Amino acid sequence: MGFFSVLGDIYQILKHTFRQVFMRPFTYFFPFEDRIYPERTRGRHIHVRKNCTACAQCVRACPVVAIRIDKEDKMYEKDAALYFDYTRCIFCGLCVEACRFDALFHTPVVDLSEGDRDDLVYGPDKITTLDRDPLEWRGRRFR
Amino acid sequence: MQFDFFTWLAGIPDWIYGILQWIYHLIMGIFFWAWGVIEWLWASVFAPESFMFLFRAVLFPGLIFVVLTLIWAVWFTRKLWGRIQDRRGPVHMGKYGGLQLFADAIKLIAKENIIPDNAKRWMFRFLPGLLLVVVLLPFCFIPWDFDYWFIADLSVSLVLVFAFLTAVPVVALLAGWVSGSKYSLIGGFRAANNQFAAEIPMIISSVGPAILAGSLSLMGIAQAQTSVWFAVLLPINLATFLVAAIASVGIFPFDAPVADSEIIFGWRTEFTGIYFTLTYFAEFAEQMLYSALIVALFLGGPVGLPFLPGAVNFIIKFIITFFFFVLVSSSFQRLRQDQIVHYCWKYLLPLALLNVVIAMLAIVYLPGIAALLPLGGP
Amino acid sequence: MSPDILDEAMEIWFGPQHVSAHGWATKLTLVGDYVVECDPNAGYFHRSAEKVLEYKNFRQGSLVLERMCMLEAFLAEYPYVAAVEKIAELEVPERAKIMRTIMMEMSRLHSIQFWWGQFNAELGFFTMALWPWVDREYSLDAFEELTGSRHTVSYSTPGGVKYDFTDKVLKQLDRAIKRFEDRLPKFRDMQMGSPTFRARTKGIGQYTVKQGLKWGLSGPPIKACGVPMDLRKDAPDPNLAYNMCDWEVPITENPDHPGESDALDRMEQRFKEAETSVQIIKQLLPQLPEGPIIDPKARAKANRLPEGEAYARVEGTRGITSLWLKTQDKAQTAYRAKIRGPCIASYYALKDLVPGAKFADFIVIFGSLDPYPGWWDR
Repeated sequence: MGFFSVLGDIYQILKHTFRQVFMRPFTYFFPFEDRIYPERTRGRHIHVRKNCTACAQCVRACPVVAIRIDKEDKMYEKDAALYFDYTRCIFCGLCVEACRFDALFHTPVVDLSEGDRDDLVYGPDKITTLDRDPLEWRGRRFR
Repeated sequence: MQFDFFTWLAGIPDWIYGILQWIYHLIMGIFFWAWGVIEWLWASVFAPESFMFLFRAVLFPGLIFVVLTLIWAVWFTRKLWGRIQDRRGPVHMGKYGGLQLFADAIKLIAKENIIPDNAKRWMFRFLPGLLLVVVLLPFCFIPWDFDYWFIADLSVSLVLVFAFLTAVPVVALLAGWVSGSKYSLIGGFRAANNQFAAEIPMIISSVGPAILAGSLSLMGIAQAQTSVWFAVLLPINLATFLVAAIASVGIFPFDAPVADSEIIFGWRTEFTGIYFTLTYFAEFAEQMLYSALIVALFLGGPVGLPFLPGAVNFIIKFIITFFFFVLVSSSFQRLRQDQIVHYCWKYLLPLALLNVVIAMLAIVYLPGIAALLPLGGP
Repeated sequence: MSPDILDEAMEIWFGPQHVSAHGWATKLTLVGDYVVECDPNAGYFHRSAEKVLEYKNFRQGSLVLERMCMLEAFLAEYPYVAAVEKIAELEVPERAKIMRTIMMEMSRLHSIQFWWGQFNAELGFFTMALWPWVDREYSLDAFEELTGSRHTVSYSTPGGVKYDFTDKVLKQLDRAIKRFEDRLPKFRDMQMGSPTFRARTKGIGQYTVKQGLKWGLSGPPIKACGVPMDLRKDAPDPNLAYNMCDWEVPITENPDHPGESDALDRMEQRFKEAETSVQIIKQLLPQLPEGPIIDPKARAKANRLPEGEAYARVEGTRGITSLWLKTQDKAQTAYRAKIRGPCIASYYALKDLVPGAKFADFIVIFGSLDPYPGWWDR
């Protein structure tokens, strides 16, 4: 009878939801716990100035004009300073692909949020290193 | 008339005396009045009888307890929903997110109150508070315990509780009307529609316990279940009451009044800040009230484990009932408002009547059952 | 209808600031609870993608396409890549063909899981909204392991694909498929077995094949009518590997109304689509040959294209996605690109489909056709 089969369906659904109450949740406490990001993660870039040849292929490959190059600013013999504008970057990976000299890489660092918009333009001092101040919130440190 | 200076001079002491006396009587009058007030207060508040009544009305089964339970209920619902949906629910504020609701409330109260141009200003301000008061008042008739730990016992308290609850959708409809928004208006009408659908099956379901107990008082109904819970005799009525209660509150799956994918937040769309907080609390308070009613009507009220106090028994059963509220409300798709009326009237109403009839027949033909009830056997 | 009825009509804007209208706005005219007129408006999500394509070179162009619909990024970027390959006459290695096909089917699975959750959220059932989204996380993990990005994958490139499969990627793919298959029976209980879901969707938004083809629908909304119209079978792309495996076009035929589909059929159809995707992936994974993943000359050839025009299409999750590309001789960028998203048809189908339905059913009809605003504002 239709009525009783509907009751059976309702019972099945309640059973599924009731079981779910006692299961381990899927989510985690984000700022304090974090998963391991894969090797290929296209996060912020790192620029190895030692290998850089100032060929500007990354600048040409960028579809959103997020990279600026300063060829005057030399640290080694023929390198250049790169300025990454992360307000524009879409993390497509074309610049890393275009670099033939192993000078530009993506890193698995994806939390780039800043309080100030200007801080998102990574100059040569920030783009060549992964060091940064850890963020503290309510007495706990993360990232 | 001749002015006699010396007579006037002799009269001054009398005059001063009169003034002093006037002041004296004035002060004494105020003093005795205040004294009387203090005595009256003493007699009415701090005399053991009255003090304990006030204690009950304000503290334990009364206002503070209910509000604390309300806060707990919101936390419990959110946590349980989180668990059912593979989430953790609130975690950050306090242990297991226990202080989340205080944080929410402080944030909401601190927000700006926006009153739309089209709204009727005074009603818009007045209705959310009225709603919460109307929902919180019936808690004074809940029989938390048979002796002492209850607030009021009225011979018609069941009827009175339903009378209060009928006012809730009226407030919702008015709130939708005075908000001056189309979404609010539709939501208000849908709230009224929900109550129109759910009220009658709910009242018919509660007729069963009332008939079996021979009483219209919640206390009397709870006391009639000392030997057998009405959930045993009226299982279908319990189910219909639960469903009708969910429909009447207007939470999932009967949340057509506040369906957020259709009409943004129904009759609550325009409420902000403290007004929203009040309506939000009122929804949970209504769920709690229905859970408490189910415990009192069907699950024996304070009857339970004999070594525990009655109120504790009541609260344990209350928590279990509330758990079922949350479980059912997170398991189904939203029904359309005409389908709500359809299901409530075509299925719940006959089922509720059927169970009452079956129980009555059982009493007549099975003398063993009738002996368990206060009606007495033949 | 007589003009008198329209005098009492109420106009409601569904969007652009509505909770469930993200990037679209539809004007509904209500008489009572019925919609008498539905006026879909495009243009609230306009990103001028076609114009942008004229300024991007042929390796960058697919980035624009995948941002048209991030839910099916692998499928969305394919028409552009295929058109460039046609003009440049590039050969795609065997391994890249199969990898592309696998990832496109994963993308379809993930997109269907997302739609599934969203549809349930629109129906007010957040439990069933979040459960498929949990499974979707597994697919996203696989995407991230493969390409380094969860949504905007930029995987296909003219002449092949960018990233090779590793053991970890294969493990993640297996994990995602296994998770989907494990949870499928439970989800069938929760979805097709749910009486409230059947009540909400049965007979809602019903149309015949003829109507559907007239509106220009394709993909699941047409296949749900029982017509096996599928580009994967009808016009197999030589650069994809659909003919290397054995599968049937999933169709849903309801004996109650043959040749027609309602919202319930379309849900059933989505189930079958996901199952077919899993079936194809499982057959293709063992067939992966060793070899290069990209034509070594592709990079140089795609830099400057000869004069020509090409039309490429793919069976997307929501229907036929196609792109027409015209280039001038030795041009670095496209002369003109024209995108045909599948959803512009299903969005404007609402104009004929919705009038006569109840207001609460509007979102059900909308959701069951699965329009994504990115596809109609280009």
